[in-house]
Amino acid sequence: MPNVGAELASVPFGKMIYDMASAIARSQVALDKSSIALVKVLASTTFDYVPDVVETLTPLPRPVKGVNGAPLLDSNDDPVVVTGVQVSTTVGDSFPLTLLQAGVNPSFYQFTNSTIEVKMSITSTQESSNTLDVGVSVTASADFLFASGSVSSHVNFTSSNKYSYSVTGSSSMSTTLVPVPPPKNMMPRFFLVNAMDPTKISISQS
Amino acid sequence: MAMQMYIVAFKGQFSQEVSRGIQHRIRQNGGYILMVMKTGVIAALDDSRVPQVESHPDVGLVGGVTLNPRGYAADRLQKVFAENLSKQLDVRIE
Repeated sequence: MPNVGAELASVPFGKMIYDMASAIARSQVALDKSSIALVKVLASTTFDYVPDVVETLTPLPRPVKGVNGAPLLDSNDDPVVVTGVQVSTTVGDSFPLTLLQAGVNPSFYQFTNSTIEVKMSITSTQESSNTLDVGVSVTASADFLFASGSVSSHVNFTSSNKYSYSVTGSSSMSTTLVPVPPPKNMMPRFFLVNAMDPTKISISQS
Repeated sequence: MAMQMYIVAFKGQFSQEVSRGIQHRIRQNGGYILMVMKTGVIAALDDSRVPQVESHPDVGLVGGVTLNPRGYAADRLQKVFAENLSKQLDVRIE
């Protein structure tokens, strides 16, 4: 008879868990290294940042044109004037800003919810059949002086046993990878020093 | 999987040809160009298409990035990204 307990015990759960945990740990290290390399790229990638654009509105009175392009006059023969507006734009000096300063952070990833699933199917069938065939034949003959007889018998016994046992198994492993905020120790700190008052320094970190 | 924001850094020196080639590869793989810089491109890309972009000979590194709202120019970057994205989106009204 099949021993389900023994079959389950033969599944190398410990090795499977170790292999999976080991693979996850190696992948995590590789991902972290990649994200740290990305911090360097972001810290060295600069673009020209324009901090401000000043738009100044100034009045621009102008006469209104009438028919045929002639100035429109009011009842006192004074030209009709509307208050227009002129916009003058001053673009502030640009300065290089790194992507990290600007607010682009590297994504860090973390494995969560790792699952190992083992499915096992054990099938056992037993079939036995016996057949017994017994036969007896009697013949007898008699004449004037002699008499004879014969008895013959046969026994046929057939026995057959069929036994089948199969175990099929499958396993699946799954894990979830989620983006997480950058660990503080891996991100640089920003020191903001006001040149007009160097005693005031603000420190920030992504 | 999902669309994420990536920085695609160039391998060597910047050139228009290299930049265009990489942008073309990103677009071919269903990605969107959010910002172009001299050292790389910030793009929105499906996770499953990252290897195809990474295999471009002029790509040095592809890494996921996020926008930190507390960044010095995060709001400006967000506007730039949105503006560039809107130029590439094909909106169909039926």
